[in-house]
Amino acid sequence: MGGLEKKKYERGSATNYITRNKARKKLQLSLADFRRLCILKGIYPHEPKHKKKVNKGSTAARTFYLLKDIKFLLHEPIVNKFRDYKVFVRKLRKAYGKSEWNTVERLKDNKPIYKLDHIIKERYPSFIDALRDLDDALSMCFLFSTFPRTGKCHVQTIQLCRRLTVEFLNYIIASRALRKVFLSIKGIYYQAEVLGQPIVWITPYAFSHNHPTDVDYRVMATFTEFYTTLLGFVNFRLYQTLNLQYPPKLERPKDQESKDQDEEAYAMDSESSLEKLSALSASLARVVVPVTEEEEQMDEFPVDGENAEQEEGLRKEREAQEKHKKLFEGLKFFLNREVPREALAFIIRSFGGEVSWDKSLCIGATFEEKEPSITHQIVDRPLPPVPIIGRCYVQPQWVFDSVNARLRLPVEDYFPGVLLPPHLSPFVIEKEGDYVPPEKLKLLALQRGETPGKEAESESEEEEEEEEEEEGEEEEDGEGGDDQEEEEEEEGSEKEEEAKLKVMEAQRTQTKKPQVTMGTLDKRRQLPQEEENEAKRLAIMTMRKREKYLYDKIMFGKRRKVREANKLAQKRKAHDEALKAEKKQQKKARRA
Amino acid sequence: MAGGGAAKRDAGDSGFLGFRSVSVDPGAARRRKRGPRNKKRGWRRLAEEPLGKEVDTFLEDVRLQERTAGGLIAETPDENLFFVDTGHKEKDLKINQDLKKAWTDRVLESQSKVPSPKKSSLQLREGESLAGSPRGSMGLDSSPRQLPVRLLVIEGIRLHTLISFFFPFLQRPQRLQTKPSQAPAVEVIPSGGSYNPSFQDHQALLREAHEVELQRQKVEEKLSRQLAFPTVDKAPTQESEFKELCEGLLEESDGETPAEPEGEGEADSQTQRPPGPEKKTEQQRRREKEARKLKAQQAAERAAKKRHQEVFQLRGIRLQVARRLAELARRRERRRLKRLAEDEKPRRLGRLKYQAPDIDVQLSTELADLEEPEGSILRDRFKSFQRRNMIEPRERARFKRKYKVKLVEKRSFREFP
Repeated sequence: MGGLEKKKYERGSATNYITRNKARKKLQLSLADFRRLCILKGIYPHEPKHKKKVNKGSTAARTFYLLKDIKFLLHEPIVNKFRDYKVFVRKLRKAYGKSEWNTVERLKDNKPIYKLDHIIKERYPSFIDALRDLDDALSMCFLFSTFPRTGKCHVQTIQLCRRLTVEFLNYIIASRALRKVFLSIKGIYYQAEVLGQPIVWITPYAFSHNHPTDVDYRVMATFTEFYTTLLGFVNFRLYQTLNLQYPPKLERPKDQESKDQDEEAYAMDSESSLEKLSALSASLARVVVPVTEEEEQMDEFPVDGENAEQEEGLRKEREAQEKHKKLFEGLKFFLNREVPREALAFIIRSFGGEVSWDKSLCIGATFEEKEPSITHQIVDRPLPPVPIIGRCYVQPQWVFDSVNARLRLPVEDYFPGVLLPPHLSPFVIEKEGDYVPPEKLKLLALQRGETPGKEAESESEEEEEEEEEEEGEEEEDGEGGDDQEEEEEEEGSEKEEEAKLKVMEAQRTQTKKPQVTMGTLDKRRQLPQEEENEAKRLAIMTMRKREKYLYDKIMFGKRRKVREANKLAQKRKAHDEALKAEKKQQKKARRA
Repeated sequence: MAGGGAAKRDAGDSGFLGFRSVSVDPGAARRRKRGPRNKKRGWRRLAEEPLGKEVDTFLEDVRLQERTAGGLIAETPDENLFFVDTGHKEKDLKINQDLKKAWTDRVLESQSKVPSPKKSSLQLREGESLAGSPRGSMGLDSSPRQLPVRLLVIEGIRLHTLISFFFPFLQRPQRLQTKPSQAPAVEVIPSGGSYNPSFQDHQALLREAHEVELQRQKVEEKLSRQLAFPTVDKAPTQESEFKELCEGLLEESDGETPAEPEGEGEADSQTQRPPGPEKKTEQQRRREKEARKLKAQQAAERAAKKRHQEVFQLRGIRLQVARRLAELARRRERRRLKRLAEDEKPRRLGRLKYQAPDIDVQLSTELADLEEPEGSILRDRFKSFQRRNMIEPRERARFKRKYKVKLVEKRSFREFP
């Protein structure tokens, strides 16, 4: 027969992929160098859809890269730098072996270095692309900046990471970009909004920890190398958008001479600027003094029927955000020694507050403990014997919870020595029908503007103030009020709680959109509801078989959710009751 | 050169006036004059004409004067051509010498008006300058490199950026702009991982960790169960072993009898088989052919009728088509959702499978203080890179001790010469 025979594995997906070892040989690099190159350039291995075809009939698990990607890598100029470095290492080793110290010095002076600027410009053509990858970069830099400087890691990398992270934190403070905080057992999660992009990163706690052995350290170091370069570029650009000087300088107030002497005690001159910057307590110097313009009014579009709601919603959101940014404005905080200083200083300053700490702790303390204008003092130990009147003593969790709740929570729950309410995660958004813990419900109520009234009055007026009573009962300070009052409250609120739970259940099963509000047993509202239910039952009866089947399925799913939510609510009730019983016993013991 | 050639020929002749020793052939001269005028020859002839030659010699003279005497002699001032001779030796010396320049310099300076050719800057190599190195080629550059404006010294990386601007195939391909996985970069720990969690959330997280542990324990138990040595009561006894060995052997007698009657039945039926197909007759062939034709005709008629009827069934057909399209669309949708779900899962990239990290949770007893952070963020980040298909899962390279093979020959086998 004429023509060329078609052989297997000569075209198609078999020729589009290349194994890792073949790619390495094509590039003439060692495995470590190849890995480093792939990480820096952002070339990742691919899993082909039909592994057998690509592997030419065998099913051995191999790592495949796209052939076009490897061909693209061939044109990369830093590949030559890698080879130069290999040669340099060989020469250095020889010189060391022969004890030719002059050669060693000369070689070390001419060590080949490479820069990653062109790779970053190529990988992130626009600034927004770089912001999208900032999550990873920030987490790695924060992680490396907390490493101990033992020499296992390059000390320059650790210092560089520290400097970059401090610059970024200062930017967030200056632009009031922080939105959410979550303290977890792993570390602290922050969410900020930079130029419209939400960025989430994790900061480890300052305590040192053992290094895990199953982590490939060189790979992480390569990632960090790339991310430090990226973060440097991003910092520069961000500072430009705010007209701040980069590299950052602190704003110098008029009287600086006296302070300079004190600062010598904290750090060397060369490092003092970085240390002051990392204290996060002073504001940054600007390039151009900003001319205070009037606030620009947002454009008002003619209200359309459909968009009216959307527009309203957006406008409200914007206002709420503006309010959120000024949460701690006008307040002065003083941090005690035992609280986590960096995290609190960062958060307080990001929302407009002023913060200071004891002089002997760290550089950058702006005012002393005895200042009369301090509004809040953050403590974690029991109260000092002589509390200064005019300032609130709170535990650090008040700051975090206020930030997440977007308003200044009542301080009574956070007094020193009080059992704190749980610290909920702001990253969890509950859907309809899911179980909402009562703490969250309380928070939502607070956000909607219902102020928590105090215990005594609410007994008589049941319906409208049910929520406040709940709060009054939950708050239960150790200091506590009248015993009788408390008992009465407890009984009353128990009944109310049961009623509430029942209504919640009923609401969830019947209404199509169950709202997360406390139910009200209002007789005025029962008639129209009953009418609605009747109409619904009629509609269900007149459905076709097919539709009814679907409807049953949906309702089954919904009911199951509701059942689970109720189970959890019951559990919670049991737990609360157990607590109450304990407290009762304690009080009885005290009385007796 | 035409002028030079002509000069050679006319050596000794008064060629200027046209008297030559060579006999002039008037016919030849006329022919030469009449020759083609627009070719090279025509121009060459012009140069050999008396006027052309005159012009040529004049220009040569001018060039000679410029080269040697520094300009036309007719234009030089008197002082450069003549010297004053008063008869007095000392007076003459004083008048005529040029005190400004030293004699050696005057001797060495060139008098020609024609400037020497200079190297253009484009011809320079890297590191050279138009001024040249001050101490010649062996000396070091005393001053930093002079970069004239037209010189472009491009090193590797800038060259690469420049080139990739002009050659689009060297730019980063579009497919690399997408991330390898849609999973978020930093996954926040669920609410039960808070340092002061609510009761429910903490219980939920503990339950999850508990489930994972249960699974692991189950797997271990299964393995140990399968590999366990049988206990005394389950161990095989002699009788059971014998029984096992005898299985299948005792059923032979029952097997034989049912086989025999079947064989006889077959033999009978063999004799009574009807006669095989005989040759078909013509009639039969004709009939079969007609039957086939009729069948085909009927089938064609039926098909035509059906097609006619389909016009009236349009609505039904449309419904059928719509249903089929809807089915295909549903399947496409399901496949797309499946692919999206796959996007967030970790891919199998190498020999090892991705192992999800343990859930970080602190027991209720450990929740009291913030002192001991759980888990390591370094490991968390490493696993996150693996989950997002950025690096392949790897295990630590184990140190395998390889002993050198020592070859020893037995004494009894040693050969003695």
